[in-house]
Amino acid sequence: MTEHSKKTQTLRRLVLTSLLLAIVVIGLGAYTRLTHAGLGCPDWPTCYGLIDVPETSIQIAAAEQAFPERHVEPAKAWNEMIHRYFAGSLGLLIAVIAFVSIKLRFSKSSKVRYPIFLPLCILGIVTFQAALGMWTVTLKLMPIVVMGHLLGGFTTLCLLFLLYLRINARRINTQGEKLAESQLKKYSSYALIGITILTAQIALGGWTSSNYAAMSCVELPICQGDWLSDLSFEQSFDLIPPNQESYEFGHLAHNERVTIHVSHRFGAIITGAFLAWLAITIFLKAKTPSIKNTATILLSLLVIQISLGVSNIWFSLPLKVAVAHNLVAAGLMLSLIALTYKLRQNSEESLYE
Amino acid sequence: MSKVLNKTITPMPSAINTSHHHFSISSIFANWRAYYDITKPKVVALLVLTALVGMSLSVPGALPWQRLIPAMLGIALLSSAAAAINHIVDEKIDTVMGRTHNRPLPAGKISVTNAIVFATSIALLGFIILYALVNPLTAFLTLAGLVGYSFVYTMYLKRATPQNITIGGLAGAIPPLLGWTAMTNEVVPNALLLVLIIFTWTPPHFWALAIHRKNDYAKVNIPMLPVTHGVSFTKTQILLYTVLLFIVCLLPYLVGMSNWLYLIGACSLNLIFFGYAWQLKFNAKEGTAMATFKFSIVHLMLLFIILLLDHYWLPMG
Repeated sequence: MTEHSKKTQTLRRLVLTSLLLAIVVIGLGAYTRLTHAGLGCPDWPTCYGLIDVPETSIQIAAAEQAFPERHVEPAKAWNEMIHRYFAGSLGLLIAVIAFVSIKLRFSKSSKVRYPIFLPLCILGIVTFQAALGMWTVTLKLMPIVVMGHLLGGFTTLCLLFLLYLRINARRINTQGEKLAESQLKKYSSYALIGITILTAQIALGGWTSSNYAAMSCVELPICQGDWLSDLSFEQSFDLIPPNQESYEFGHLAHNERVTIHVSHRFGAIITGAFLAWLAITIFLKAKTPSIKNTATILLSLLVIQISLGVSNIWFSLPLKVAVAHNLVAAGLMLSLIALTYKLRQNSEESLYE
Repeated sequence: MSKVLNKTITPMPSAINTSHHHFSISSIFANWRAYYDITKPKVVALLVLTALVGMSLSVPGALPWQRLIPAMLGIALLSSAAAAINHIVDEKIDTVMGRTHNRPLPAGKISVTNAIVFATSIALLGFIILYALVNPLTAFLTLAGLVGYSFVYTMYLKRATPQNITIGGLAGAIPPLLGWTAMTNEVVPNALLLVLIIFTWTPPHFWALAIHRKNDYAKVNIPMLPVTHGVSFTKTQILLYTVLLFIVCLLPYLVGMSNWLYLIGACSLNLIFFGYAWQLKFNAKEGTAMATFKFSIVHLMLLFIILLLDHYWLPMG
């Protein structure tokens, strides 16, 4: 193996590792939010001034004196700190990926034009994620910050996945496959619409969770009672909330939370119908196993995600189900991105060709 | 491998062709996507953008929509017709080239007769719109662009000389002039300056793609520059043309047509384009030619958008 292909191999492994780590960080983030541990440490980046969690009685006494407004709960503090450790490692790993990408791009020995804009973009986003992570603490779980932190995490994961697909593209995509699937070309724009719809639905899910509206509707399929007259869109989606001491456990009234929850359910119906149609149509029309498989994965994850959503209501938001609902949403997005990537063709046009 | 693919695909066209022997409206509706594809919609969108900029720069202040809409529509229709004729003329070579054999015509989604009727109809419609609602000068100039591109370039120059696109580029460079005459009904030097920018931009733009597709063109005996004079020579030409383009792009500022915003925008875009050309010549990797081609499109699009912004934000005199 030459010096250069070793470097390529290193980059590929780094990206794969960070991809897996990003999934763990997203899972830990959801776990932190759902165990109400977001304010487990009242300061940032330290926890009650320590780099781990106050546990001995002396440490706890000192911590409570320094932060009298927040009673020390070591279990919650650990949840928050473990999320920070993993997120920090991910950030460092992404910095290494950006560095290696720059080196590969400008090395004379490499024959391939490695992406450089994408890794730098991911590095920028993950840096901003650190800032959002800080604001979740300092702004006391303001819903827009919490939702933004979720979306930033998903964006990091999706872009890492895109980078992974691009680095591996030359090994997977053969010209023959592209030609065989040329009649699927038009579905790549529908897949892009699917990504837009799913992004909106994930944002709505984040809004539901950060406003503590997950248990505001406890009946299926839409909501209990006369939910239609409960709807009030006036303040439900205000991005900047009124000033509050803390936004933990939500600051909105019941009917506003019902509105948010109902929006997420309608979003689920639209997203579910669109993605199911997309996956089934592509499965029926595709000729290559690679695209058929991706469509199957998309459809399976969709079924699992809807079941998890229903279970959240049916069993009153069990922790494991709620975390899984978050993780499968990420998986759904990744499979949709993989499908879109495989459908997209080199469709460059020129007047003079 | 392409031979094998061709064999497996050849039976399909005849099967589909039988149902399209005569021209019918219903076939257009059933097959709209194929008709849409042969008009090169992305290229036409860029052409119409440059025409729009020509219109905006021709007069100070707002544009009369009674002129704007028919002019854009007419130019778009005639450009689409020109692109469709290009597909018709190139049907044979597209069938041979692996990359293009599944285009609507070689794949048999549209018959040649139907494509000709389609192209003629939209060309006629576009010409009538321009003649009746804009002015005869614009109508005839646009038609000249169509003839120059579809007949002079595609049928003759393309197959005759490696300087094909340098000369043929004039046809694709004409839209800003068309936009200008649509508003003022006269040919003025400033309009020709915009034409000159696109004219100079065309060779480095297209040669980057031609390098990427050199083997395809060699296979069908189209004398594109990389085929006749080699990739290395073509790359030198691209590099030199980006320098020339840099100078030409300064002219709108120097003659007082545009302001400093344009100057900054044009310099940055041309520096990046030069950077791509430099990389292509001296440190080329697998995807560099294609990346240069893609950037050239972004370059022209942004350059004209900046011309537009500059014109409305910092109007001259």
